[in-house]
Amino acid sequence: MVAFDKCETRPAHIDAILNGLDRYNPETTTVFQDYIQQQCEDRSFDCYANLALLKLYQFNPHLLQPDTVTNVLAKALTVFPSPAFSLCLALLPTNTQPFPATSEAQAASQTSDFVESVQKLARLSTLLESAQYTQFWSTLNSDDLYADLTADVAGFEELVRIRIAVEVGKTFRSITADSLEQWLDVRGRDALGKFVADVCGWKVEGDVVTVPTNKENEARSEVKSERVGVDMFGRVIRRGFEQAA
Amino acid sequence: MSYEDRANARPNLNDESDVEEEALVNDYREQVNYEDGMSELDRTTSLGGSQAQDLQAQLTAAATPLEYQATLETKFASYDNYCSLFHYILNSEGPVDLEAPSYYWAWDVIDEFIYQFESFCRYRNRIARTGSNEEEAQLLRENPNTWGCYSVLNVLYSLIQRSQITEQLGAMKRGEDPIAFAGEYGNRPLYKMLGYFSIIGLLRVHCLLGDFSLALKTLDDIELNKKAMFARVMAAHFTTYYYVGFSYMMMRRYGDAIRMFSHILVYVSRTKNFQKGGNGYDAIAKKNDQMYALIAICVALHPTRLDDTIHSAVREKYGEQFYRMQRGGPEALPPHSPDFDNPAVNVDPVDHHTAIFMDEVKNTLFNPTIRSYLKLYTTMDLKKLAGFLEVEPEQLRSWLLVNKQRSRQIRWVEGGLLEGDSAIANDLDYALEDDLIHVSETKAGRRLVDWYLRNLARVY
Repeated sequence: MVAFDKCETRPAHIDAILNGLDRYNPETTTVFQDYIQQQCEDRSFDCYANLALLKLYQFNPHLLQPDTVTNVLAKALTVFPSPAFSLCLALLPTNTQPFPATSEAQAASQTSDFVESVQKLARLSTLLESAQYTQFWSTLNSDDLYADLTADVAGFEELVRIRIAVEVGKTFRSITADSLEQWLDVRGRDALGKFVADVCGWKVEGDVVTVPTNKENEARSEVKSERVGVDMFGRVIRRGFEQAA
Repeated sequence: MSYEDRANARPNLNDESDVEEEALVNDYREQVNYEDGMSELDRTTSLGGSQAQDLQAQLTAAATPLEYQATLETKFASYDNYCSLFHYILNSEGPVDLEAPSYYWAWDVIDEFIYQFESFCRYRNRIARTGSNEEEAQLLRENPNTWGCYSVLNVLYSLIQRSQITEQLGAMKRGEDPIAFAGEYGNRPLYKMLGYFSIIGLLRVHCLLGDFSLALKTLDDIELNKKAMFARVMAAHFTTYYYVGFSYMMMRRYGDAIRMFSHILVYVSRTKNFQKGGNGYDAIAKKNDQMYALIAICVALHPTRLDDTIHSAVREKYGEQFYRMQRGGPEALPPHSPDFDNPAVNVDPVDHHTAIFMDEVKNTLFNPTIRSYLKLYTTMDLKKLAGFLEVEPEQLRSWLLVNKQRSRQIRWVEGGLLEGDSAIANDLDYALEDDLIHVSETKAGRRLVDWYLRNLARVY
């Protein structure tokens, strides 16, 4: 597992800034902004670097670019399930109130387009994190604003679709084609067959999609035995020697 | 532009000609009839007898809490005191020849410095939100950089750099002599301790500002074990584990969070008797209770076998009320001067972090229920289980997906705190064959080593 602060696709100059005090230097804001732009285009994702950008905005609110922030959030959606999205939210201005408790609170909090955008993306995140995939797609398609918010992220829908497929593959050995079509927002049996074959290596047989066995959907019972090492008895052994002497 | 250059635009310790800062200070002094206009620099160039006493008084003051009802003037003055003291320590010619009043002094100073920063930010946000005190609001509006994030971070990073503590810790990790890497400052206990505790201070500040991954990254050079320097100061030991555990929790690494909270809670319960009445005991007792609440939350999200002492304490305190989860935290700080003209936008950061955390809690709240049902079966029809739970089958499919995801967590094995391997965090696993749930269980074999060791100890 790659450590949270590392990223295989991260360029050296970004790494240098992140590991030095320049990460606080407002002049590096533009460097990080270019970097998230690049991530949007080449479909890579570097959570730790994007958090550094949000931190610069946190310390220097006058530099905050709403479009860049929403791009960071939209990118974070494409790596669900993960804490990435909520870690980003924690660094945003508190008045964004991403999860208004009531519709009145929501109306009162939406003092700007930016706040509305953050709340809309947070709603998408909740739907993905709670595995309500059908509602995710219907929400995404319900309002043109969503299309605007995800427009800069190349392959947004495809990236999300792949993540959903991965999660399904961990839990299911087989699933009805109808359910999967809805979850993946893929229309028609042919399109579904092509997607699961090309992307996942699964097969559609009649009304059922079969997922080959993998480490996660195997769910094997086992008995884990205790690890026993000599070091655990070091104290007893030492005591034995001490008393003998 | 380096960080130090950058800091020139802020209240600053490394640049003696900070005009802006000086102007702010003078301005402020006029307003409150500041009596003692003496510059700290003059004082340090000719350190005579009485002045040396002054300095000792200042050192003691820096480690002493402000009165509970301290006025805004006192808080401003305290900030100035810290600035001049740290300026003196960091920017005199060569290391200053000072003896810290006590062994705990370095920790107390950093702790109190951050505590005052924290309470000042809270206070300022409250004034801005409630609009209750126009006079104070005006004063705060005019001094946006007093107790600013950049100044506080600047102090901590400067102390870390001056003491070359990172290099020293690196050497210790490699098994080399840290003194060879300490430099002329870091060789002195005063600098070394201030630098070391500044790392712990940074952990806390990052955490309060909502940057949980950077908080954990900050501890890269410190190994969390009983031999660590922080372990010799109870409050430092406690603070470290509290904030590391908290950061892990916000990163959804509940297993790691539980490990941190348990470690320190067990430690506290074992040392309870000889801390009572000691400095800062009340603060520790309060945080201690918060931590039991946090551990209750983590266990609800991630069933774990706890240490017996902890387990009974958690049950005693939170048996029936696992769901009242806000009690323990999160803590948070507003990162910059609030908007005094728009009270409504100054949402309390604690509410902000709580809302974010609660969204995740809501997504996973049903997990324990599902697990308790699945435990009873080896195979189960999804629609039947949905009937038991009184939910739609589609809802149950979602829950099963979420529960599966959350039972895979990253868990620390070795290296930096942000490292870790994916681990199955649950003894219960399952897979769906269409609507048929196959349940499997990983059973732990009997644990004999502990039993054996305990009985051996009794016999010997």
